[in-house]
Amino acid sequence: MPLTVGLLLALSFAVSLLALAGLIWAISNHQLKVEQEDAYTIFAEGEAGTPDVDTPKHAPEIDRNQYDVRRAGLDVVSRPAVLLLVGSGVFWLVIGSAFGLLASLKLHLPDLLTEQAFFTFGRARTVHLNLVAYGWLSMTGIAVAMWVAPRIFHTPLRFARLPVVGAILWNIGVASGAVAIANGWTDGEEWLEIPWQIDILLAVAGAFFVVPLLATAARRDVDHIYVTGWYYLAALCWFPILFAIANIPYIHSGAQEATVNWWFAHNVLGLWLTPLGVGAAYYFIPKIIGKPIYSYSLSLLGFWGLALFYSQVGMHHLIGGPVPTWVVTLSIVHSVMMFIPVIAVAINQHVLVARNLWAVKESLPLRFIAFGALMYTLASFQGSIEALRSVNSVTHFTHYTVGHAHLGAYGFVSLIMFGAIYYMLPRTTGRAWPWPRAIAWHFWLVVVGFTIYFVSLTAGGLLQGFAMLDATRPFADSVRVTLVYLEWRSVGGALMTAGHLLLGIHVLALLARGPAWVPQTGYHPEPAVES
Amino acid sequence: MTRPEEPSRPGENFEPYEEMRQIPIGVIMFAVALALWGGVLLYQSSYAVAVGRADETVLSPQSEQGLGLTGAKLFEANCTTCHQPGGEGVEFAIPPLDKSPFLAGGPEIAASILLRGIDGPIRVGDETFDGHMPSFASALDNAEIARLATYLQARFAGRKQAISGERVAALRREIADAGPFAGGQEIAARFDSSLSPQPEVKPLAGGMGISSGILELVNQGRGEVWSCSSCHGDRGQGADTVPRLAGLPADYIAKQLLDYTEGRRRNENMELVARSLSETEREGLGRYYASMRAASTARPSLGGNLERGRELVLSGDWSIGVPSCTSCHGPSAFGVTPGFPGLAAQHPSYTASQLAAWVSGERDNSRQKMMNVIANALNDRDRAAVADYLATLPPVPAPATTADEVKR
Repeated sequence: MPLTVGLLLALSFAVSLLALAGLIWAISNHQLKVEQEDAYTIFAEGEAGTPDVDTPKHAPEIDRNQYDVRRAGLDVVSRPAVLLLVGSGVFWLVIGSAFGLLASLKLHLPDLLTEQAFFTFGRARTVHLNLVAYGWLSMTGIAVAMWVAPRIFHTPLRFARLPVVGAILWNIGVASGAVAIANGWTDGEEWLEIPWQIDILLAVAGAFFVVPLLATAARRDVDHIYVTGWYYLAALCWFPILFAIANIPYIHSGAQEATVNWWFAHNVLGLWLTPLGVGAAYYFIPKIIGKPIYSYSLSLLGFWGLALFYSQVGMHHLIGGPVPTWVVTLSIVHSVMMFIPVIAVAINQHVLVARNLWAVKESLPLRFIAFGALMYTLASFQGSIEALRSVNSVTHFTHYTVGHAHLGAYGFVSLIMFGAIYYMLPRTTGRAWPWPRAIAWHFWLVVVGFTIYFVSLTAGGLLQGFAMLDATRPFADSVRVTLVYLEWRSVGGALMTAGHLLLGIHVLALLARGPAWVPQTGYHPEPAVES
Repeated sequence: MTRPEEPSRPGENFEPYEEMRQIPIGVIMFAVALALWGGVLLYQSSYAVAVGRADETVLSPQSEQGLGLTGAKLFEANCTTCHQPGGEGVEFAIPPLDKSPFLAGGPEIAASILLRGIDGPIRVGDETFDGHMPSFASALDNAEIARLATYLQARFAGRKQAISGERVAALRREIADAGPFAGGQEIAARFDSSLSPQPEVKPLAGGMGISSGILELVNQGRGEVWSCSSCHGDRGQGADTVPRLAGLPADYIAKQLLDYTEGRRRNENMELVARSLSETEREGLGRYYASMRAASTARPSLGGNLERGRELVLSGDWSIGVPSCTSCHGPSAFGVTPGFPGLAAQHPSYTASQLAAWVSGERDNSRQKMMNVIANALNDRDRAAVADYLATLPPVPAPATTADEVKR
């Protein structure tokens, strides 16, 4: 067998899979052993096996899975950071949606707002992307992490003032990045448009988020880190590395630059937004339902599978591009291998939701989060299939890809963040939502809006792709055929934006009342909506 | 959907945790199956690399290996459409190669003519021809020109003197941008004064008669309309789906511009540009590009079968009712004035997209509808084959742009 690139790739692929399997086997076995020993730690030496008649009502399992957050006062410590981050996130969501809607309208009303370069499509779309990715999703995701991490680590957030400073710096970075882009100053690469000079500010701000979370994790009061914690800790280590490497100016150019560009652009979804979303879903779904996750081993498979496979996924954007074939093939294989961790997460989360549908009906936050978790599965399956050369040659450079991107970033991450905000804010402020019915309105506006959005872009994108591939049709046909679908996309986008406005007003109304510094006793913050 | 018999809402103090379950066997089997698929696909990527390497060799005309055709095959593929399979030429039109004194003087003469082409009167035997030989410098690589020149000399002059690829490479460097030989006189002066007396060369009118207005349209554009060269290149060489214009018949160019103006031919960019032109300007631009010479920048790029392309271009395929391209577009597909454009050295993306446009009716600006019928008979693979083959041909030699013709 001659030593070829293919043989080397196949061998290293096999070795890495064996290592992954070995790692998961070792961790889960070790954990099983620890669980056994754990169960004995509550007994004094030699006491195990003897009935303890004095305390019959305190079964050990119940103690292990109960923790009074309010008594520990955790939410009060994280409150300033969480409120500032959520408030900023929702603010950028509203502005970012407005730019997204403008960009969408321009695709079928090309003469709209053309007088100023600021409002042209190229800039409006780019401002939209950066505001929702770095403003809305990142800040809200960090807010949820700041709120959840102390709860799973059983210890207050450390250096709780740092994230407040970080949020202020991050806001300045996002705002100046958007202004720079709107004025035509960009780095010229998708997802990396914010000029690198401003990125330095974002990187510094990022450190103000990472340090408190790592410090909190280091001083945790639990032996076992719950799966949400793995995702958060990993995301906070991965993202700074990705962001810093991809933004270093003057070291990559030409085809390498494109490769690094897509390595980053796809990893920012899979190794930053995805762990923030999946981690949150892993916390809120069992928390709201009140029952455990299906399988610890599957959690391991889902997490380590993501860690191994995802980092190579981005190069499927360069299928047919001037990069070595094996790089692209490796990326395609890894994209398809993502089926494995996604199925693991899907079983873990959906089994629990499907067995407790009553909770989806009763809890509006869970409704958002369960819907978002389902969209994660769909977006990932779709993404794996889209990476195949046969499918990619139709869908690449079409609106289909835009639909897919929104299925992931919106249907999945944004929906989970909505649910998390609705669950989190009453608990952190000690105040109930002023208009519970508005939450249901928000849910249906964004779900209906997004369905219209996704279906029309998917259909229009496929038609566009087939038109572009048909050599006997002029290029203009591939544009004309999408027109009606683009109009529907604007309708869907308008509904989504209306939902975001509703959320923004609701959050403002809640915050305007000021936090109740000491939650009233007997207060139950779950929104009392039966819809 | 109703909550099972539970005493109350889930407690606020519940801590999420995971149950100790093994990974379901179905998931493991699925993972193993995917891993096998991935391993096989990665292993096979070597195959894709090998195919890519082979393609590169075929596509690069400057590579020393080329298609590896023998001199005889190169002669058949490149020379016989004009000089005929027996090298006898065509009376009054194409000089014979057989027993040509130009071949007797050593293979360097033939190699130089192949590299530079001829643009002027030449006397072979007792006959004088109006020489319009294309330059093969951009169509054949050094080794191919060496093999072809050696073959021509052996076959038609009976001399077994060979020329090497290195020598041709040196000639290529010497010649650089010298352009075509201005007829037999220059060849004789350069190589062999013993050649039979060559006819006088009348000065060409190159560049003359092209008004500064036309040059401005070509190079700078006018008002809101951009220049021709911004898309078609400074030598009218084109790129991809932007056609090569150098050497197309003047009347053909003027007609296309008029058709764009009046909506008979459609293209968003060209319609806008053409509508700004007057009739004089359309004709002037036609003459400008017709007289232009540019090395071929076209390369086969569609993965078409070159053998099949050659068959369709030179012989047609009567089983599907397709005549040869050369039957109308002239020998070597250099075009026939006034109505048939040259196809040689045209960019394959452009040729294929035009053939496709004739099929769909997107292009139908010929009154006879001939191209609609022919293109419709070709399938996708045939269209790619024809387009790729045409890209391997040498570029159209410039027509005689004598002073009289330009003044017309």
